[in-house]
Amino acid sequence: MTVVTKMKGFAAAAGLAATLLTGGASYALAEEVTLTMAVPDWPPTRIMKKFFDEQYKPPSGNKVKLDVDFIPWPDFYTRVNASLTSGEQKYNFIVSDSQWLGAFVEGGYYRKINDLLDADPDFKKTLMSVHPAPLAAYSTYPYKSENYYGFPQFPDVLVTFGRKDILCNEEEQKNFQAKYGKKLPCTGEEIDAMTWDDFKNVGEFFRRKKGEMLAGAPAEDDFYGIAFQAGKGYDFSSMQINGFIWQMGGNIWDETQAPAGQAEGVVNSPQAVAALEKYLSLLEYMPPVAKTGTMDIFKSDELFREGKVAMNIDWIGLGEASLDPKSSKVSDKLVFGQMPGTMVDGKNVKWSNIGGQPFVLTTWTTPEQTKEAVDFVKWWLSDDIQHQFAASGGQSAVKSVYEDPKYVTYRPWNRAWAPQLDWQKDVWHVPQFFELLTQQQDQFDLAITGKQDAKTTLDNIAKFQQDLLKNAGLIQ
Amino acid sequence: MAEHNSIWEALGFRKASGVGEAGWGRTLIVAIVSFIYFLPVLFIIFTAFKPQDAALSVPPTLSPTSLFGLIPGQFVFTPTLENFGSVFMRSMTAGGAPEPTGFDRYFFNSIVIASSSVLLALVIGTLAAFGFSRYPLKGNDTYLFIILTTRMLPAIVVIIPVILMFRVVGLSGSYTGIILLYTAFNLAFTIWMMKSFFDELSLDVEDAARIDGSSDTRVFFKIALPQVIAGLAATFVFGLILTWNEFLFALLLSGPDTRTVPVAMNQAVSSGGRGTDWTLLAAIETLFLIPVFLVTFFLQNHLLRGVTFGTVKR
Amino acid sequence: MRLSPDNWKLAILAGLAVSAAAVIALPASASFWIIGAVAAMIAAAFVVNAYRRKYYGGLLVAPAIAVLFVMNIFPLLWSLGLSFYAYQSNQQSIRFVGLANYIKVLTNDIMAPANWGALVNTAMFVVLTVTAQMVVGFLLAMLFAKQFPLRKYLLILVLTPMMLSVVASGVFFTYYYDPTFGILSYVVNAITGGQFILMSTKVGAVTGIVFADAWMWSPFVMLLVLAGLVSVPKYLYEAAAIDRVSKWRQFWTITFPYIRGLLMLALLFRTIEAFKLADLVILLTKGGNDTMTISYHLIRIANEQNKTSEGAALSYLMLFMVIVLTNLYLYIANRRSQGA
Repeated sequence: MTVVTKMKGFAAAAGLAATLLTGGASYALAEEVTLTMAVPDWPPTRIMKKFFDEQYKPPSGNKVKLDVDFIPWPDFYTRVNASLTSGEQKYNFIVSDSQWLGAFVEGGYYRKINDLLDADPDFKKTLMSVHPAPLAAYSTYPYKSENYYGFPQFPDVLVTFGRKDILCNEEEQKNFQAKYGKKLPCTGEEIDAMTWDDFKNVGEFFRRKKGEMLAGAPAEDDFYGIAFQAGKGYDFSSMQINGFIWQMGGNIWDETQAPAGQAEGVVNSPQAVAALEKYLSLLEYMPPVAKTGTMDIFKSDELFREGKVAMNIDWIGLGEASLDPKSSKVSDKLVFGQMPGTMVDGKNVKWSNIGGQPFVLTTWTTPEQTKEAVDFVKWWLSDDIQHQFAASGGQSAVKSVYEDPKYVTYRPWNRAWAPQLDWQKDVWHVPQFFELLTQQQDQFDLAITGKQDAKTTLDNIAKFQQDLLKNAGLIQ
Repeated sequence: MAEHNSIWEALGFRKASGVGEAGWGRTLIVAIVSFIYFLPVLFIIFTAFKPQDAALSVPPTLSPTSLFGLIPGQFVFTPTLENFGSVFMRSMTAGGAPEPTGFDRYFFNSIVIASSSVLLALVIGTLAAFGFSRYPLKGNDTYLFIILTTRMLPAIVVIIPVILMFRVVGLSGSYTGIILLYTAFNLAFTIWMMKSFFDELSLDVEDAARIDGSSDTRVFFKIALPQVIAGLAATFVFGLILTWNEFLFALLLSGPDTRTVPVAMNQAVSSGGRGTDWTLLAAIETLFLIPVFLVTFFLQNHLLRGVTFGTVKR
Repeated sequence: MRLSPDNWKLAILAGLAVSAAAVIALPASASFWIIGAVAAMIAAAFVVNAYRRKYYGGLLVAPAIAVLFVMNIFPLLWSLGLSFYAYQSNQQSIRFVGLANYIKVLTNDIMAPANWGALVNTAMFVVLTVTAQMVVGFLLAMLFAKQFPLRKYLLILVLTPMMLSVVASGVFFTYYYDPTFGILSYVVNAITGGQFILMSTKVGAVTGIVFADAWMWSPFVMLLVLAGLVSVPKYLYEAAAIDRVSKWRQFWTITFPYIRGLLMLALLFRTIEAFKLADLVILLTKGGNDTMTISYHLIRIANEQNKTSEGAALSYLMLFMVIVLTNLYLYIANRRSQGA
């Protein structure tokens, strides 16, 4: 016996003992059930915890406690990954990025919930009320299969944040019309209709140096037209680039086609290369930090809130901060619309990469806990709670909720929510996602900082993915 | 400069007297250097007092006062104490009521964990250092080197076995576990540092005491130890600083109840549903700086005294 | 064999027998504690034995070794063991593969280039940061070596940077270097009228990281050197002054012997820490502009991608390099001190 397997043995035995103990305890009292949950520390999870404490009444009559471990976002993956892979078996619920599903399902940590869905038609109905695009992204592994795992915690999409005061300024409107022969998008509907070419025009048009005139007054600082994510960290360029690739007819490696689907020839197809070139061509109209590879979703949001750009594309999850006058210098000048698209056969195609997180159950959750967990999820996805959640700054992917006319009144970006949901796709859910992601991010970073062209970049990515996925048996 | 001017001397700018002393001239030079060196810290401290909307203003605001008009208005901010309140109580959701952030607990944890582990390491490590210095074992240098290697690998490599071990023994999320781990984390440095101080001492005094009939225990406590107080102080300060700011072990081995400030500090880098909350981060760091700053300041006399009252060997 | 509390050989034999029985007969969670108790018993036997024989060296060192063994050496050996297996922490299978991981991290077409690149960068950072820290730290120590008014108040200012938590100082350095909001760009732009983006080139990014790291840790070197400097007996300088010995010679013959040991200690510990440079890189560049270091790379492999064995192999290669380098330091230092 090796040391490792032996320690694993110890761990398993101790885990068993602990399970027996806690199982026994909950049987003896029959009323106290504690659900432990690992969540990133931010408003959507804080709201969830608050609602639970204030409102949740378990139908079973048991005393259910939700013990939430709020972990700061930057370390969330590290903490959860270490907890899961070390066999700590600490959490019953885990908020998880959808990409993590494969890695942690294969590791035996995330619990498949098909049996629970089959056993409880109400539960199934609740889950199926979620829009199919986010449902597939948040719940299925393999992606788009019939194996369900997660429930939406905070669903999210990319939207355009705009500055009304600048975009609707009469002087700017007139000059833009004169220069491009088009109206400068100003209202939400006009932003919805934008293409990347329009977006580029905005970027080019609003490049102002300090002291030049901007919306009728001299600019206090250098001003830029546009911003979106172009950072090396985590997924802070892939999420944007994938949208470009899908819109322009290209594709990423498609795991739903495995093992027949290839990476070579798909990932670096001429459409994909053209899409990446388009993405790169917009960077020159952005604030200078884009040249450093550190323009992540937070940096572009910060630049927007500080009033340095006219339009920013970012997650709704970061929107709340721009509405708050304490953290935003533009809180009263906002307009929101859908992410720009690409004209294909006269239709504005808006494919985009989905964001947000599901939460999942873990495999060591006891039957008693599971029963309470299912009740809790049904409550969480109920119309009433989802409405309250959306009204306090959350988002809902439950059809009856976001289709309710009230929904668009909760937050200014909600008008872009429902139409964009249909356009959402997700990245890979395969266990190798992190290797795929880091290599791709490294390559994109080289392109973003001007060290290699789009073709080379995608060739390198395709070759890497082909080799890696072939070794893993996901490509034949 | 000051040396030849009696008015300066009358004002207290006395002439340097004797070896190892310098006058106010040196003070002036060092003050300029120190101030420049301190500027990035000062900026963080000032940021803690800025209103949120001044944190990222361009041009950067640099001073809470215009110093009687010396500093142009655009560089001046109006100081506020609001951020320090936010460290302990703030709204965690948009428009929600302020709620406790748990930072009082995190500060308490940091203080308990850092101080006990550093003291423990100092006790164990000083004994070991004295052993290595005075009673060399067979293969003494090899032992010392092995001890050093425990500091050479990135923590991420050893963390998984440690997590497993803690889980089996029931130490995960407990004070005992993290304190023991930090003790080990500090031992290598403590032993090497204290050994080098013990090595510098003259053996004559100790030998004389032994001849006079002092026990080995007495020699250690009454003769060797008092001579290395500077070393103890320096080692304590270094150990404290490293432990105080340790991040990865704390992240992975502490539970919600034993979480330390460096882990929780990242709240300010994300938890408001946006990127960095500059003023909040600065306020946390400023508060977090105070304890180590004070400890270092009060131990400074010892740091500067040096190993003066043993005649040095060689 | 005599039955007595200091008979450690007997204790080991008995301990082995009891442990083996416990492992076979009892569940793992119980036998773990029994083995722990046995280990404590054996340790106690050693201690009593050493005490009776007045073997103080062993006695004094024992507690330190015990703590280190449990908390550090045992996990280290564990990961050394893992480096010979094919194992991923998020999968259940494990298989012995001998040296394959080592060969893989050094020669595999896909993995090796990144590993080598990170190793080269790490070497560069070690040389640059350690040199900068030693030079700046030494100069600062010389400034503070003499007694002068207000010395202790000024000293604490210089010591403060190393008290900062890396998260805070790193995040604030991203601000200082930021081309839109940052102070650095503001000052440079005001002077040149252009647009200054420090972190957009490799030279700039490396400078930014080295500056931040050296700024934080030069005080560490300074404090150690200072502890040596203030311990030089003043009468030596007085004697030298009478003999009209030049300042330069005074330094080498009087001062240097007192700080040599501490300089070596500073060099040793800063080198070891420099090999582990990761958090500043993560905060400032995410490894962009070719600043990936081996430690950051290890975090990616061992944590993000859960390739435990390959991570362990790579880290042991790194450990090997650190050991060679530190031994070289120690060898040179010892030879010097014997020659002196």
